[in-house]
Amino acid sequence: MADTALVTLVTRDSARLEFACPAGMDVLSAAETAGFYLPAMCHAGECGQCHAHAQSGAYEMAPHSKAALPDPGQGGILLCRCQPRGDLTIDLPYEDAKIARQPLITRSAIIESLTPAGEGALALTLTLTPDAQLGGAADFIPGQYMELTVPGTEIRRAYSLANLPNWDGRLDFLIRLVPGGAFSTWLGTRARVGEELSLRGPLGHFTLDDASPRPRVLVGGGCGAAPLVAMLRHLADYQDSLPTHLIFAANREAELLPPALFEELRAGLPQLEITLCVWHPSPGWDGFTGTAAEALAAHLAAQTEMPDIYLCGPPKMLDTARAAALAQGVPAERIFAERLAV
Amino acid sequence: MFCFQCEQTARTETGAGCASARGVCGKDEATADLQDVLIYQLKGLGQYAHRLHQQGRPDAAADSFILYGLFTTLTNVNFNRVRFVELIAEAARIRDRLRGTLGETLAGPAAFQPADNLAGLLAQADIASVRAGLNIVGEDVIGLRALVLYGLKGVAAYAHHAEVLGEVRPEIGAGIAHALDFLATDPVDADTLLAEALALGQLNFTVMETLDAANTGRFGSPTPTQVRTTPVAGKAILVSGHDLGDLAAILEATKDTGINVYTHGEMLPAHSYPKLHAYPHLAGNYGTAWQNQHQEFAAFPGPIVMTSNCLIEPQPAYRNRIFTMGPVGWPGVRHLTHADLALVVRAAQALPGFAETAPEKTILVGFGRDTVLSAAETVIGAVKSGAIRHFFLIGGCDGAAPGRNYYTEFAEQAPDDTMLLTLGCGKYRFNQENFGEIGGLPRLLDMGQCNDAYSAVQVALALSKAFECGVNDLPLSLVISWFEQKAAAVLLTLLALGVRNLRLGPSLPAFLTPALLNVLVEKFGVQPITNAQDDITAALTRQAA
Ligand SMILES: Cc1cc2nc3c(=O)[nH]c(=O)nc-3n(C[C@H](O)[C@H](O)[C@H](O)COP(=O)(O)OP(=O)(O)OC[C@H]3O[C@@H](n4cnc5c(N)ncnc54)[C@H](O)[C@@H]3O)c2cc1C
Ligand code: SF4
Ligand code: SF4
Repeated sequence: MADTALVTLVTRDSARLEFACPAGMDVLSAAETAGFYLPAMCHAGECGQCHAHAQSGAYEMAPHSKAALPDPGQGGILLCRCQPRGDLTIDLPYEDAKIARQPLITRSAIIESLTPAGEGALALTLTLTPDAQLGGAADFIPGQYMELTVPGTEIRRAYSLANLPNWDGRLDFLIRLVPGGAFSTWLGTRARVGEELSLRGPLGHFTLDDASPRPRVLVGGGCGAAPLVAMLRHLADYQDSLPTHLIFAANREAELLPPALFEELRAGLPQLEITLCVWHPSPGWDGFTGTAAEALAAHLAAQTEMPDIYLCGPPKMLDTARAAALAQGVPAERIFAERLAV
Repeated sequence: MFCFQCEQTARTETGAGCASARGVCGKDEATADLQDVLIYQLKGLGQYAHRLHQQGRPDAAADSFILYGLFTTLTNVNFNRVRFVELIAEAARIRDRLRGTLGETLAGPAAFQPADNLAGLLAQADIASVRAGLNIVGEDVIGLRALVLYGLKGVAAYAHHAEVLGEVRPEIGAGIAHALDFLATDPVDADTLLAEALALGQLNFTVMETLDAANTGRFGSPTPTQVRTTPVAGKAILVSGHDLGDLAAILEATKDTGINVYTHGEMLPAHSYPKLHAYPHLAGNYGTAWQNQHQEFAAFPGPIVMTSNCLIEPQPAYRNRIFTMGPVGWPGVRHLTHADLALVVRAAQALPGFAETAPEKTILVGFGRDTVLSAAETVIGAVKSGAIRHFFLIGGCDGAAPGRNYYTEFAEQAPDDTMLLTLGCGKYRFNQENFGEIGGLPRLLDMGQCNDAYSAVQVALALSKAFECGVNDLPLSLVISWFEQKAAAVLLTLLALGVRNLRLGPSLPAFLTPALLNVLVEKFGVQPITNAQDDITAALTRQAA
């Protein structure tokens, strides 16, 4: 076995990136050494951001979370845990343009406001501090996220942006508090308006295929609302006219997003249809009762033209929704997903 | 989809043409099909407009829409499916109005009723394909129709540029309507088709003259100007494309803001127009020709404005800070009118700008016809004394094809006693090099944008008058690089003017069949390029003979 393996990454748009991976090194680190900064987050096999698919060649996976890797054995890999055992060719689920050629820069922002957004969730707004190298613009693509550091620690967490890119440096987040969680505890108890925070990004490749002529269905649940809200705001901003359907799921009614948000989205995007699903509703609930995957299956069964599907939420929701879409005949490459693994 | 209108069209063993889900340029199937539908409707509009022109009651708004509509379908202009759905609906409304004005209902494309939804429109696209009727009329007729249509697109683009600067001539609207009406009849006679193509070439000469009048009338006559090609510290906006009027509006909007404005690609000649040069914040030229924009735009530290072609898929690195204007569009990229320019200013202020001033480097531009003709005596003297042996006009578009190195080699290998004239964005392959001087003039004279072919023709005509010979007897060879449909229009103009001694590359148009190419070679003296050294030798030998 050679000491150094040749790794070839093939992007969604067929670009091929080749680099050497020394023995003992994972593919993600080797790519960074070669100057390719691939979408990734925890670098520890936990978050699933660096999920990819091995096309050919042998490899070994170091320990990782089951939730982060839904399809082991069928070539599913996490780049941060994958060590080649010989030359390896890997398919990436995104385009070449999503691969950064420079390392990320950490910058700072100020908390502008912090307000409740439904039960157990907060709306956080930051303003970027202008930076000599980066300027002061909030420059991202709807669907992307930022990594925020818990002040006074090295702990970083990903949060998707809910607003639109803008020149004022404004970043809006919708954050569902996780009891006992590091970031959640800081945000829920100690964070104050005016406080400084360090962050980096934008990151992520969960973005709209603007050029697609197909209808779209956006499916979200739990803490997965923000990127879908941003995408819908973007479509409204560009007066998109394609049929668009939002399926949003929660365990209980109180955990759904604030009604004013749905009203804003409907006003901006007149053709938008919204299905709200509640798993355990209280009596009198007149929306869909069940999971996001069940609502998606019901919606797709009534369609003649298969839509593009955008999924965002916890791993279990993603996997069931994906299975439902595939079962209804949606091609795998028309399913875009953001896995909010923990 | 099927599209073979530009030089970079897909070429496979089975033939040429972009026919998969996405063209080489990035145009997707839905957009390509919608563009076909729009073109089909414009033929219908042409049927009505032509008759109204004949009756002396043209509809100016319809003529203007036709120009704009044709322009949106040029290579690297508009990729926005949503925009085409709107334009198709608008075309149908205008058609209904013209039908009312004319008081007569015409058949053919004029009677086409577009579906009111995307799926329906895509299902209608077949009748609108450039290859519709291929089985019946054969490749040659399809190729000739394409030549007319693509030439027409180029003419319309130039006419639109003149129109937005306030220069409108009724004979242009009439000529364009005539050509569309002609195409609407599905012409099959090769001689008639060729005659129409040459008539369009003639029309394009008028159009380029009109655009020249618009540009020089508004901004003064180009004068030799040193243009800085390195950045200065400070906030920055980059303006690309061909529309000088848009650049002027951006310069006005950024006056006294401390923001520097840079030109990109075909906007370079703007520096030589006195009234644009007068803005102190028109700081310089940045980058090279269009095909390098992914790297160049990503590295530019401010907003970028595309005023016309050539746009390629905006990368995420600069998607939010690139803006389109006029006929240009890309899904998810902000489109601006002159009223919205405050947004670009806002973006420039929020983005970092250039941190440092780089050491100054410059290039010389601005050899329009007035400047060259004012030096005519020197030039004529230099030719008579033998100091200038030959003129090479190396003009046209740039592109990504490796074969385009030919033009660099041609400029580099042309002997020192030959003068090089250039125009279009192909010049970026060699305009940073120092070619020295000849007879007191720089050996490389940059005449401007592709439409400044008008200037080149004027110079050639003046020289032929001075030497009392035909243009083809001048020691002048044209070495043309084509890429898109404006170049096709310019080529038709040169053919219509009877200009021979013309080399065309880097490859020949895919829509021209071997039989048609043969006509170009036999009848018009068009030669495909071979290699730089042989072509230089051949040109100089012809002259010596
Ligand atoms: C790409 C991406 C985008 C994201 N966008 C958002 C967003 O827009 N809004 C948002 O609220 N969150 C989002 N998340 C989740 C977020 O990054 C954190 O995982 C979450 O806020 C918990 O962080 P914490 O530090 O508070 O908890 P931790 O300290 O990480 O966790 C504490 C405990 O809670 C458990 N836990 C952590 N997260 C969850 C969860 N979501 N559900 C159930 N149990 C959990 C952990 O397993 C652990 O036992 C995103 C995640 C990813 C990967
Ligand atoms: S414009 Fe050129 S590259 Fe684009 S689809 Fe047509 S032929 Fe292909
Ligand atoms: S010269 Fe041709 S290729 Fe170059 S920018 Fe102009 S239109 Fe595009």
